[in-house]
Amino acid sequence: MALLTEQTDEQLLVLALDGNEDAFTALYRRRQGPVYRFALHMSGSPQVAEEVTQDVFMFLLQRGRGFDPSRGAVGAYLFGVARNYVRRAMEKSHSEAMMTTPAEDDDPHLVTDFDPVGDIARGQTSKAVWKAVLSLPEHYREAVVLCDLQDLSYAEAAEALGCAIGTIRSRLHRAHEMLVRKLQSSAPALAGFSGDAARCLS
Amino acid sequence: MTCREFIETAESLTPLQLRLLETKDEQMSAHARECGGCGKWMESQRLLGNALQVLRAHTAQSEASPKVELAVLEAFRTQGFEGVAAVAPDRAAPAVWKLSRFFEVGAYAAVAAALIIGIFLGARMWRDKPAPQAQAQVQESPLPQVVDPRAATGAGVTESSGSASAEVASKPVSASAIKGAVPAARRSQPVVAQAATTNVDRQGFVALMFCDPLICSGEEQVIRMELPANALASADGNGSQPVIADVVVGDDGLVRAMRIVN
Repeated sequence: MALLTEQTDEQLLVLALDGNEDAFTALYRRRQGPVYRFALHMSGSPQVAEEVTQDVFMFLLQRGRGFDPSRGAVGAYLFGVARNYVRRAMEKSHSEAMMTTPAEDDDPHLVTDFDPVGDIARGQTSKAVWKAVLSLPEHYREAVVLCDLQDLSYAEAAEALGCAIGTIRSRLHRAHEMLVRKLQSSAPALAGFSGDAARCLS
Repeated sequence: MTCREFIETAESLTPLQLRLLETKDEQMSAHARECGGCGKWMESQRLLGNALQVLRAHTAQSEASPKVELAVLEAFRTQGFEGVAAVAPDRAAPAVWKLSRFFEVGAYAAVAAALIIGIFLGARMWRDKPAPQAQAQVQESPLPQVVDPRAATGAGVTESSGSASAEVASKPVSASAIKGAVPAARRSQPVVAQAATTNVDRQGFVALMFCDPLICSGEEQVIRMELPANALASADGNGSQPVIADVVVGDDGLVRAMRIVN
């Protein structure tokens, strides 16, 4: 297992396809976190995120041999699969129900173990931002989640979403503008969003 | 730095990158301080970067529960790859993968369709092509000897029959009389030879048409002429004996059909 951690995702997948359980476990442990967080940020629901994570790796078990490394990295492929499962889950259970989930106090991801003033403020900011992110249109939300919250490069995000890098860039820029406006109107005091942030183009 | 340059530079960066660049890039910092609009925009982006950073930090350790791992590994152990029935796998595949497969299959289908169309058109062109050998043969054959000019009978001369006498018989002939034999005769020389035995109308004419029936559908004349036997490929008579034949000639001078009289 120690050696397997040094292998790339593609190498691990090849080994796993040959029946190497350790390789599959290593690949799962390496990739389940990003996939889970992507689904969590996109849906706002830990339950949906868990279901999506399981579905994504079940899909990999079934269609892993169809993966073509020349078309992209395993990580981007998994994000692409997760995106489709998230979309289906949200279609099924309606996004309105999920929209309220991040603001719920019993959300395990938003309740901190400590309770100092700073943590409370950060928790409130986090909730406000998450609400704003979840209220974005889906394709803008995907760009924000992948690039800002998952730290993917524009190229990796473009691979996962199946679009051009320029598209990601423009979606991200538009999403940031929308987020700023939403935060200005919904939580100006929390994160210091106040005043007019209109751009100057002189 | 102008405002436009400032915005163009800033827009190409994520809020986190922008926050880092702001502290490093003197020009951007100076412009943000000088220009009120750009300064406010920069500040809003910085705050957004901070807020997203907070959200990211809150969920950074979030992972699927161990039961998901157990379920996935159990599926791997019991069924292995391709043994697990994924939930609607076709819909779950990333769009870029599905599209590339679609275009791959589409490309193969397009090539196959192009081949089929090419073969079809080629076969049709080959079938419709006029027989060059047959034309050449007609052109190279010695001119038939007209036994008797039409002056003897005038313009409305009737077709002579059964007479071996040297006379020219010409009359307008309806195209329908030979139309049925024409398509087979147009194809090629071997087909013409075959047509000589198969496409014979009731009057015994064999179609020898070398032009499109739609073009050469004018009036025809039947001319009885004496042909040297060696000029007819299909003639199996005595080489020394001339062959008397009725030849249907169109107004363009091309032979439409022929009938051996003796």
